[in-house]
Amino acid sequence: MPDRILKGEAMIHFDNLGKAWPDGTKALSDISLHIPRGQFCVILGPSGAGKSTLLRAVNGLMHPTQGQVRIDGTALTHATQKQLRRRIAMIHQHFNLTSRLSVAANVLSGLLPVVSTPRALTGWFRSEHRRKACGLLQRVGLAPTHLKRRAGDLSGGQQQRVGIARAFMLDPEVVLADEPVASLDPKISRDILTLIRDAAREHNTTVLCSLHQIDLAREFGDRIVGMRDGKIVFDGTPAEFTDERVSALYHGAHWEDPPKKAEPEAAGFELAHV
Amino acid sequence: MQKPIPVPAPGSQVHWHLDAPYSLRHLLIIAAILIVLILTGQRTEMDKMVMMTTEAAGKLLGVADDSQVVRGLSRVATSMWPPVLGETEEISRLPEFKRDQLPILSRIEVQERVEQRMNTETLQLEPHSESVEVLVKPVGYVVSVFIKMIETLEIALWGTIIAVILSAPLAYFAARNYSPNQASYTAARGFISLLRSAPELIVALFLVLAYGFGPIAGVLALGLHAAGFLGKFYAEDIENADKKPQEALEAIGAGKLKTLWYGVVPQVLPQYIAYTAYILDRNLRMATVIGLVGAGGIGQELKGRFDMFQYGHVMTILIAIFIFVFILDQLSARIRNKLI
Ligand SMILES: Nc1ncnc2c1ncn2[C@@H]1O[C@H](COP(=O)(O)OP(=O)(O)OP(=O)(O)O)[C@@H](O)[C@H]1O
Ligand SMILES: [Mg+2]
Repeated sequence: MPDRILKGEAMIHFDNLGKAWPDGTKALSDISLHIPRGQFCVILGPSGAGKSTLLRAVNGLMHPTQGQVRIDGTALTHATQKQLRRRIAMIHQHFNLTSRLSVAANVLSGLLPVVSTPRALTGWFRSEHRRKACGLLQRVGLAPTHLKRRAGDLSGGQQQRVGIARAFMLDPEVVLADEPVASLDPKISRDILTLIRDAAREHNTTVLCSLHQIDLAREFGDRIVGMRDGKIVFDGTPAEFTDERVSALYHGAHWEDPPKKAEPEAAGFELAHV
Repeated sequence: MQKPIPVPAPGSQVHWHLDAPYSLRHLLIIAAILIVLILTGQRTEMDKMVMMTTEAAGKLLGVADDSQVVRGLSRVATSMWPPVLGETEEISRLPEFKRDQLPILSRIEVQERVEQRMNTETLQLEPHSESVEVLVKPVGYVVSVFIKMIETLEIALWGTIIAVILSAPLAYFAARNYSPNQASYTAARGFISLLRSAPELIVALFLVLAYGFGPIAGVLALGLHAAGFLGKFYAEDIENADKKPQEALEAIGAGKLKTLWYGVVPQVLPQYIAYTAYILDRNLRMATVIGLVGAGGIGQELKGRFDMFQYGHVMTILIAIFIFVFILDQLSARIRNKLI
């Protein structure tokens, strides 16, 4: 693995990032992290660890209560957000397509930040843009017959392919993928992650991807960041992310502690004896 | 023979119990409702209504010997029957009449006309008969009612178009998640309430003062009221639309208007169409009434004839409205079946 992917010039900086929700939940506390350009960084951690919150801080869907995020050196603020968002694409767990719109229109909607309002409202996109949409749809493995189909009628895997095509319409420098394969079968999950990784490598795109599958994280990540209760508890290469560290991450104990023998959970214990 | 299950189970005790379904509170509520019904019923003369209706039924069955209701109705009925179908016009009063080019379905007749005239010598009123040539159009009035009916349709159509055009921006500002700020939200919501609270007929009354008699007032009255209705429902649909596609577009910085157009409008379009169809249907019915205050359409014709005591014409108009609404119901039922 090229060293620059692990140590290169940073694309995303998290500077002492903190987030406390109004109800008092501390979703992130004091996160400092930098992600080099071109890195495929996987975020792991149990539910509620703050993975989504961290990703959403990068494009300003979530405003931190402490610290800041810098993209390519520019701090994300109210003033810079609009410009920065054009360089950051997002791939969603539930695909987030407009289900009653055609596949083609969904992919073209990825261009909306740069298309003039009259063109957007009439749907009259430039021919090079339409060509690009077709090219990307072909690239993600859809057929020309899918172009005019309603996005909501496609299978989950196909919808996520459309989501990836939409994300790459603006040649993003950063791709945020929040559990992109959470609702897909293992084979398609691998295909989808391969697509994201390969497309990202071609554009030297930085990927921040949250996952729940350890095997996929090890296979696709250049780097793995483990989170728990809003803190970073592991940061290293897939090789360093040993099975002990996995169980530490998911079983309550701090990862620095020697891994204990996993205690059976109360509910499981009772069930076993019924 | 099966034994009942011992309840409670031996050695245990039931700690909870189910209350009887009715209590004194329910009785009090029923008594209160009854009192309200009796008071309001008396003020709206419901007791008298029941008596008069019973009397009318008695009269029809030959039991009672007189009924005010039956007398009134039969007086109206005799003066309205038969409906007027034709029209006659004096030829001498038609400025551009061409004898060789008669309008279709018409003929020339000579009618005797008797007038009372003052005899200048005797200073007495004397009957004086004269024969005049008249143009008789046997279905002339039916044709002009038909034309008025078409005008009514046009008023309803344009009332709906104006409502859709006005309500689109109104809905944008009245949707909490798209309105630029609290002030524009409150203003839009307030304006919508204002439009919705003003009944068409009353709005038309004022618009006739502003725009004069005729369809303009009718179209605007229907359009303004319906814009309030559509604005409210469109806005609520925008607020309740699925957030996921909107978030995807917001995340790349697409801007509010484009996000609305690509992330919301396609999702809520079926409901939009349903509301608009409902408004068109409602406007078609309202358009027949709105002319009563002079805002164009068949209602205006009805009011004019009513005020001139021409009850035969009124009958023709009522029959036309009935047929119109009947056809409309059939059509909308058929279209609805096709859409669903
Ligand atoms: N809008 C919100 N208001 C209040 N608390 C929130 C909100 N969104 C998230 N949280 C809280 O923030 C914490 C982190 O949530 P987050 O969604 O980032 O977790 P996650 O790691 O993405 O979990 P999952 O794997 O289930 O997606 C949780 O405790 C959650 O309850
Ligand atoms: Mg999440």
